[in-house]
Amino acid sequence: MEVVIRLVRNQDAFGSYHPAVNFLYFGVLLSFSMFSMHPVCLMISAVCAATYYVTLNGAKSVKFLIRGVLPLFLMTVIINPAFSHEGQTILTYLPTGNPLTLESILYGAAAGIMMVGILLWFACFSQIMTSDKFVYLFGRIIPALSLLLSMTLRFVPRFKVQFDTVREVQRALGRDTYHGGLLKRMKNAVACFSIVVTWSMENAIETADSMKNRGYGSKKRTAYSIYSWEDRDRTVLCFLIFCGLFLLAGGISGNLFWRYFPSVRGVMAEPLTILMEMTFLMLCAMPVYLERKEKSVWNSFKSNN
Amino acid sequence: MKRFIKIFVICILCMAACCSCSLNTKPISLESSMEIPEDGIISAEIFKKLKEENKVITFYGISGDMKYEWTVFGEDIQEPKDTNLKVEVEKDKENRLVFRLCSEEELGFMPVLSLYSAHLWEADSAVVYRKGEKEPLCSVSVTGNKTSVLNFSVTQIGEFDIKGEKTEVLEAETTAPEKDTQQAVETDPYLSDGKANDGQALSNEKDDGGRVLSDGKQEGQDQYKTDPVPEGKPLPVEPENQDVDEEQTYTCTFSIECSTILNNLEDLNEDKLDVLPTDGVILSERTVTFYEGESVYDVLKRICQENDIHMESSWTPMYNSAYVEGIHNLYEFDCGSGSGWMYRVNGWYPNYGCSRYQLAQGDKVEWRYTCDLGADIGGGYSVGS
Repeated sequence: MEVVIRLVRNQDAFGSYHPAVNFLYFGVLLSFSMFSMHPVCLMISAVCAATYYVTLNGAKSVKFLIRGVLPLFLMTVIINPAFSHEGQTILTYLPTGNPLTLESILYGAAAGIMMVGILLWFACFSQIMTSDKFVYLFGRIIPALSLLLSMTLRFVPRFKVQFDTVREVQRALGRDTYHGGLLKRMKNAVACFSIVVTWSMENAIETADSMKNRGYGSKKRTAYSIYSWEDRDRTVLCFLIFCGLFLLAGGISGNLFWRYFPSVRGVMAEPLTILMEMTFLMLCAMPVYLERKEKSVWNSFKSNN
Repeated sequence: MKRFIKIFVICILCMAACCSCSLNTKPISLESSMEIPEDGIISAEIFKKLKEENKVITFYGISGDMKYEWTVFGEDIQEPKDTNLKVEVEKDKENRLVFRLCSEEELGFMPVLSLYSAHLWEADSAVVYRKGEKEPLCSVSVTGNKTSVLNFSVTQIGEFDIKGEKTEVLEAETTAPEKDTQQAVETDPYLSDGKANDGQALSNEKDDGGRVLSDGKQEGQDQYKTDPVPEGKPLPVEPENQDVDEEQTYTCTFSIECSTILNNLEDLNEDKLDVLPTDGVILSERTVTFYEGESVYDVLKRICQENDIHMESSWTPMYNSAYVEGIHNLYEFDCGSGSGWMYRVNGWYPNYGCSRYQLAQGDKVEWRYTCDLGADIGGGYSVGS
């Protein structure tokens, strides 16, 4: 029964976990993906990010991957060797007289894969870590900052809506921004803008005051939240900490060493390296695995009915 | 989705194929330096370890008031054995140095020996002779700021004699009697083409390579921020005014070396140890052919392409010249913040870019790596220090 409630509440399985677990997961994953230049890790990260992105957004998003992300990757592959000429293996010479090297092409490819991976992980991050989860997590520790963040994030859409409203009202009053001379229209638009800016400032103060009066940020205040800490959160957290520490230790001890210049050198087939790559794969594939598992459980319920 | 995964799998395979072929060797790493013991014997175990772990090490010792240093690359060691690396310096003055290698059998490999002289040598280069013989054994790279450092690699053992050499400067042609003939040159069409010199060139002299020499009277910088060229040295020419005439061929000697890096290994970017030549010489001195109107840069570019030596440069409009960023994957700033490539022609480091130095028959061009803004290779003045 619990599973059913979860699936009704959240479309994605990993997103239904505790916000702390969500946040920590992306923290570990992003920091590791950003600092490791090991090609196997980059590949694992990018493939898993793409798979998770498609899982979250449906089959339609494959089009975005091929039309938007693949050109980005190809662009870095082409652009890097045009500006970087370091490397031992000279393939040919560019018109400028500088060499075109295999190493700079490989580095461009690696940087491209990293960029694609990070981009897709951030796309998933913004879908999983909604602003209420963010406020829930940091509302007590850094109340001012998390309020500021959620207010800033809401600012742009609210401002747009308010601007449209004010413009309509002004139009009814005879200060039209669609018709009339250019100077007159601009004058009216500036008046509208001024009104909305004044409103937004006043609104921000009112929101802050209102939050304060309701006890936001004070220690004793309790808040209702829809998030609860469950056993499964503890399991995933333990797994996360284990993976994070293992990868960190392995990375520091040089078991994921990889360099591109002046010649490509690195560890690939050492037993410990393979073990670390497997761990990283498990970490990256975790949300997709949870998703699949939850789906199969849901389907098994359905067939029983 | 399947197509996307397919593309990635192909990428993985390509990268794995490209990488796996070059992954067999371990990258070179730097071992901390070691003092040579009293008897000079370095045990075979140390050499074996260096060879197995592919490390580079410096062994140092002192003889009299002089320090000496061996730079040993693990990859060079043929078979590890107990080796006596003691060096005894007998004489060190007036650009002459006599020393003896105490080893009784040949080393079996060619490490670079660096001798830190107690005083500054008045020499651009030096040559090693076996004691008593007249045939030179090998050439020596003379570097050093306040005291000289001599770098060379010897194959044999025994007593040796190093003699410093100073490159003959073209001063003979700038003597007074020739001044009269210079007046006639004013109508020379070549000179009136030299727009960049703003008529200054008219009062200057020419050497036998057809170059205009500085009279040392110019004041202030020219339009490309070049300080006055010292008297008797060729003035810069602008590459856009030069026509290369492939009919006319000349020869010059050309060399590329980076032995200063061996004396500053601890500053070197560790990744670059793999490309560092074990004897510090990238291109040994050789005679090359060039065409009328070619600059030092043109020749460098051609020589590097012919010999498969990596070289990267960028055009710098402010100085109207190419700037050589790296040769043989050794780049500027790779060995400390004051490191980079400089060139020397006939014992002088020009104070302008290599695209503006027109070559003449018989010029001796040396590309050298500095770790201290030129001060360590005797060219500090050309970068304004």
